[in-house]
Amino acid sequence: MLTPSIERLVTELARLPGIGPRSAQRLAFHLMRDAERAPALAAALAAVSERVSLCPECFAFAEDGRCPICSDPRRDATLLCAVEEPSAILPIEATNEFRGRYHVLGGALSPIDGIDPEDLRIAELLGRVEGDGVAELVIATNPTMSGEATALYLADLVRGRVRVTRLASGLPVGADVEHADELTLARALLGRREL
Amino acid sequence: MRCWRRAALEFPDGLAVLIGPNGAGKTSVLEAITLACVGVSPRTASGGDLVRAGAEALWVGLDIGYGGQLERREIGYAPGRPRRLRRAGQTVRSLGEWRLPGALLVFLPDELRSVKGPPAARRRSLDRLLEAAEDGYAAALGGYQEALAQRNALLRRVRAGETASTGLAPWEARLSELGARVAASRRRATALLSPIFARRLDELGGGEGAAVAVEASIPEFATVADDRLESTLARALHARRERDIAAAQTTVGPHRDDLWVGRGQRDLRRLGSQGEQRLAALALLLAGRDMLSTTAPAPVMLMDDVLSELDPPRRAALLRALATGGQALLTTADPLAAAEAEHCGATRIPVQAAA
Ligand SMILES: [Zn+2]
Repeated sequence: MLTPSIERLVTELARLPGIGPRSAQRLAFHLMRDAERAPALAAALAAVSERVSLCPECFAFAEDGRCPICSDPRRDATLLCAVEEPSAILPIEATNEFRGRYHVLGGALSPIDGIDPEDLRIAELLGRVEGDGVAELVIATNPTMSGEATALYLADLVRGRVRVTRLASGLPVGADVEHADELTLARALLGRREL
Repeated sequence: MRCWRRAALEFPDGLAVLIGPNGAGKTSVLEAITLACVGVSPRTASGGDLVRAGAEALWVGLDIGYGGQLERREIGYAPGRPRRLRRAGQTVRSLGEWRLPGALLVFLPDELRSVKGPPAARRRSLDRLLEAAEDGYAAALGGYQEALAQRNALLRRVRAGETASTGLAPWEARLSELGARVAASRRRATALLSPIFARRLDELGGGEGAAVAVEASIPEFATVADDRLESTLARALHARRERDIAAAQTTVGPHRDDLWVGRGQRDLRRLGSQGEQRLAALALLLAGRDMLSTTAPAPVMLMDDVLSELDPPRRAALLRALATGGQALLTTADPLAAAEAEHCGATRIPVQAAA
């Protein structure tokens, strides 16, 4: 028997990706079993929703203004890497091969889904490319149809102003940056090609 | 299936003929095999209407030997629920993983459309063959179609004034790259296929001098070298922008190609008699099998009710062609045709209507 509060928790959990109603119930009961689990999770969720915002520079997640990468003076300001989502930054960082900064586009072009250039942070990207002393734009959109088209669109926009490169193929087509393994991604970074 | 409550059959190597009265469920057997091999029925896009009237679900199990191994495949449908696919007891989630590569050439009576039907039907026949014959073709074609759908969606949005036409460029670049690969493969395959098709049609009594060729929607595609296809397509797409925006669809490219099927100057697609078109469709399938057999195990041929439509000499010629070169399964309701097939070495499999 579920009480109304547990019912509500199950409903919320089941909205998460990859979690069906059965797993949601299992998670809910797991949380109820240990008296400290639920408050700890509730506090973490509250902190995330209160404190985390988008970095005004790169649009990755940040707390209190700029993100750690943008506020790190040791990062190479001449290198800028454009990604679709914030989740793509972590695996690229894990390769230790990239010392520049990032720019989160907020998706990829897809006319079918009504996503036009105006819906991505492309104007902001152009502003950074023009103003920040950027020498190279590394385009790390996913190797999907949408990601490739977005890469081509961006390359056309900034060509002639800065060097434009694309992660080397080696990422399997249809995979995404977020789920690529470190070695493949490191190789893709080192072998990036002119676009 | 539509007709069966429960059935279990075993098929020999080489040619087999399913003999039974009309309505006995012979076609259902061919559909079941198609389902187990490719996951979709040759007739209907969804499995729902395959289910026998009054039954709750459909289940097909098939043991297929290939690559030296026997594999158990099961497919289940119930109306209103997702299709279930299992291979060697393991659930398979996508049709792409399920599909056996190049294993099946199906001739249902509507396969005539590969000669007589609209261009899309001929393209589909050629594409199916290429998907089986060439690694990477299915991916290139799928990518092309995805880029095409995106460009078409964008054309609609540009026409509606929702966004600028400058966004078309990246989609045209993707279309040109993938379209050039599709076009080059189609051209190469038809060049290989054409003489085989001519020989097969002649053997079936359809006469000499037959040919197939890609009839491209861009006239220059007939003459331009492979490495110029991409730039040619890119130029054509760019030149058509205004018109395409007005039409809100892409009016040029491999998705508008056709396959010319003819004999001498005679266009069998438009001018052929029903009989000529039927023979040409059969010759195309046989030629496709010949082509695939050079690089992979011979595909299985499933032919529904083709014998009754042929005169005795052509029937004999088809049976001779099918008696060698791999596994083939024919259906017929005509005892005489079945006897002829047996005479050519076919195994006879009687099929009786469900009680
Ligand atoms: Zn930042």
